Amino acid sequence: MSTDDAQSEDTHIDIADGVDHQVAMVMDLNKCIGCQTCTVACKTLWTEGGGRDYMYWNNVETKPGDGYPKDWEDSGGGWQSDEHSEREPGEIPAKERYGGDWEFNHSEIMYDGSDEPLRPQNVDPEWGPNWDEDEGAGEYPNSYYFYLPRICNHCTHPSCVEACPRQALYKREEDGIVLVDQERCRGYRYCVEGCPYKKVYYNAAKKKSEKCIFCYPRIEGEGPDDEVHATACAEECPPQLRLVGYLDDEDGPIYKLVEEYEVALPLHPEFETVPNVYYIPPYAPPQHSEDGESIQGVDRIPREYLEELFGDRVNQALDTIERHRDRTRRGEDSELMEILQDKNPAQQYRLEVFDDD
Amino acid sequence: MTEGCERTAPDRSWVGVAALVVLAVVGAAVLPTLSSARPANEVPVGDVGANATDPTAESWTAVPSVELALASAPSGLPEASNVSVREAQVRTATNGSHVFVRVSWPDATADRNASGLREFADAVAVQLPENESARPPIAMGGTSNRVNVWYWSGTGTTEELLAGGAGTTTSFERSAVDAQAVHEDGEWHVAFTREAEMAGNRTDLSGEQDVDVAVAVWNGSYDERAGRKSVSEWKYLAMGPGPQGPPYETILWTVAGLAILFATVVTIEGVRRTRGEAA
Repeated sequence: MSTDDAQSEDTHIDIADGVDHQVAMVMDLNKCIGCQTCTVACKTLWTEGGGRDYMYWNNVETKPGDGYPKDWEDSGGGWQSDEHSEREPGEIPAKERYGGDWEFNHSEIMYDGSDEPLRPQNVDPEWGPNWDEDEGAGEYPNSYYFYLPRICNHCTHPSCVEACPRQALYKREEDGIVLVDQERCRGYRYCVEGCPYKKVYYNAAKKKSEKCIFCYPRIEGEGPDDEVHATACAEECPPQLRLVGYLDDEDGPIYKLVEEYEVALPLHPEFETVPNVYYIPPYAPPQHSEDGESIQGVDRIPREYLEELFGDRVNQALDTIERHRDRTRRGEDSELMEILQDKNPAQQYRLEVFDDD
Repeated sequence: MTEGCERTAPDRSWVGVAALVVLAVVGAAVLPTLSSARPANEVPVGDVGANATDPTAESWTAVPSVELALASAPSGLPEASNVSVREAQVRTATNGSHVFVRVSWPDATADRNASGLREFADAVAVQLPENESARPPIAMGGTSNRVNVWYWSGTGTTEELLAGGAGTTTSFERSAVDAQAVHEDGEWHVAFTREAEMAGNRTDLSGEQDVDVAVAVWNGSYDERAGRKSVSEWKYLAMGPGPQGPPYETILWTVAGLAILFATVVTIEGVRRTRGEAA
């Protein structure tokens, strides 16, 4: 019996040993407009200066595309199998593959009346985050692309945690958030090598590794207003494409999308880290003929490409969404469509469901 | 002629005996050092009158050097067995109040930076048992048998660490160890300095007894860091007054030499008398 079958027959959730609950996020790629507001929200909050200039704990990349850091999907890391006994060797990307922490002539233009165009100073950039924005693939009239927002997946089997010889990275007991203990970290960067998503970054100024913290002070209500907030990337998102909550909250939309309808899928499941960030795959119109007619049955975004990103289960997920769309068109009820259309905002961020534990 | 011969013969034999005695005494003093009677795992501790904090100080030339074979440390890290440094020279000295350990090893590039994402600095560490009387596990000690580690990195930092097993190194809040380094002619020379007498979690090096020692070396440009390193086996700093101390050794060698000489002379004289030559 394949793992897929097991999951469809048994909704038992695979939560890491020793973790009480598991934070999770679902991002609906059909809603992402590539505005980078999430990127800016995250950067403003966590990674401005101090050796973090080049870091984007949250980034949005165009797919198909080389991503950030460039070609991260081919940089190794993760596990060799779902037994999680042998890790896959990985590499530390060169700085040029991240790119982007350039100095701009903002003040000259804004305050000194310079007529120069706004551009990076004293460098001739060849790559940076979002460098291949909107390039995509395919030929007119059937070219295609979509946006892929990425944060740390706070994996159930995090290979970054396993890679650290000092146990400086750990999975937080209360909610499974993966953190780098800055006291323990000695900047060896085995975590950077070990993460197949390249979501752990080396801070050369501090000589320590750093990463997305799932905005834990916000979800703990430790901010100035003492209120619980979802992650900044989620709350600031103009089209509100993210759901934030716990995977094991069986009354929440995340559980339903991931475990019941199985339309929210992890990115690159073959890395075997079992991510806790899930994606509703992009649902594109069919291809067009030269004279603009729809070619029914031929997807604009090739299924092979989506399978590359989300595994074979993407077919079943897209079929399920198709079925429920049809159902809604016929005027029937669909809980799935209601969740995806965000008809109940109270369900979007369910972060206090386990507070009484 | 005959008379003369009879007169000179005893003289010659006494000169011969005297020469043998002198030879034996000189031999007793010189032979042990020539034949290097030093046990294989010993790192002798030289005496430097002044300060030896500078690895290029003239005083180091008088301190005996020991070559340590290095091999990759056992570790589950990727490429752990792929290390580049095969040997290191260690010199240890004291001036009474301080102990100096100088480690030299070949490395063509001086990697002093870790400011690039893929950059690692060269480094060296000297490992000593927290408790001088018990030998800890070589790989960073054990939970009940910890080690002191003196760590110098090419970035210019010197740290004093305490460890009780791989991955447990913890910095002392204030390091009692200083280090100075030079890189010349394709070789690093790093001299560590620490006060000899210390208590608490720090190895006492006041000369009460021999103390175990091991070294580790990292080549930064070869991506070596953490458990990916070249390490020695346990050796020991010959600090204690032990029975193999030089004065005791000299007396033994002298007594043994004289005894052999005495036996030889008595035997020769006995043979001569038996043949009736002396009559």
